[in-house]
Amino acid sequence: MALDPKIRINLDRSVVLLVDDNPQALEALTSMFRGFGVRKQFKSTSGAGAMHVVKTQELDLIVIDSSMPDMDGYDFVRWLRREGPETARFTPVIMLTGHAARSTVEKSRDSGANFVVSKPFTPEILLQRVFWVAKDERQMVVADGYVGPDRRFKNMGPPLGVKGRRKDDLSTHVGVATDPNMDQSDIDMLLKPMKAQL
Amino acid sequence: MSEAEFVKVKYRLTEQVARPGGMTAGLASERAQRELAAHAGDAMKSLGNMIGRLEAMAREKSVPLDAVYEEGSTILDIAGLFDKRVLCDACYSLCELVDRQRTHGRPDWASIGVHVSALRLLWTKDGEDPASLKSVVDGLWSITDRLAP
Repeated sequence: MALDPKIRINLDRSVVLLVDDNPQALEALTSMFRGFGVRKQFKSTSGAGAMHVVKTQELDLIVIDSSMPDMDGYDFVRWLRREGPETARFTPVIMLTGHAARSTVEKSRDSGANFVVSKPFTPEILLQRVFWVAKDERQMVVADGYVGPDRRFKNMGPPLGVKGRRKDDLSTHVGVATDPNMDQSDIDMLLKPMKAQL
Repeated sequence: MSEAEFVKVKYRLTEQVARPGGMTAGLASERAQRELAAHAGDAMKSLGNMIGRLEAMAREKSVPLDAVYEEGSTILDIAGLFDKRVLCDACYSLCELVDRQRTHGRPDWASIGVHVSALRLLWTKDGEDPASLKSVVDGLWSITDRLAP
């Protein structure tokens, strides 16, 4: 389900790091985020450059391409979550992916990015993921084999207003009440529990 | 092995997006689309050059499969930002084909050549007759799927 076009979103104070080894792709990404209203953007064409920015700047969001020479997006997020500066360790990350080679599938699953956006995508989709990241309430898991957002989405259901994809996802439609309405005194009792005399 | 620790994190981004001001999501998407459109011409030109390099590789039949994969992957990266779906699908098929061929150690330049020719066609016919172009992509996938993942 698409992001409601009427929802207001304010990114003008957000500081975003964009990382892509291809300068043309990086420029295109920069343009998109400028369109979203992001004024302060840092750009890097390498994982090493991105590490430097993370160490020296306060960032609100990192958007990184998965496929890069030397240090790819997965390795970068792995570094960020495990060895990055304490203050930046849990910075939200959106990973952009093209083709998922067999050799990278496991790395992708365990990288610790908040969301993965596969190409091709439109600015609308990217903005939706930024919005999802902002509303992401998952806890961070720190374990030997994984550091990143809790991957057990299942317990939380799909994001508000989004139809679930799993067959056992609960419907977001509340439906008609099945129990009679509570009267006011019952509600008051719930709000102000009183001491019971035993 | 130590137990997993759960950390509750509050993102600054959460507060920022909800600040008064800003713009509607619809307007933000529209503005981004406009900004992006300014790069579309250059991007298409680059994609043409990259397909040219793939054509040279397919003619020479001597470069490592990794080089073909890298070039295909770069096309997918650029085309993907401009929402060139058909070209992306075809390129994804090429990347998948080459990935399967290198996994099995069985390079097949004929099937790579067909993909590259199709990429050129799809690039030339960008935006025209989506149904016909989709059938070209379906044909590419039937070639790719002849080799098990």
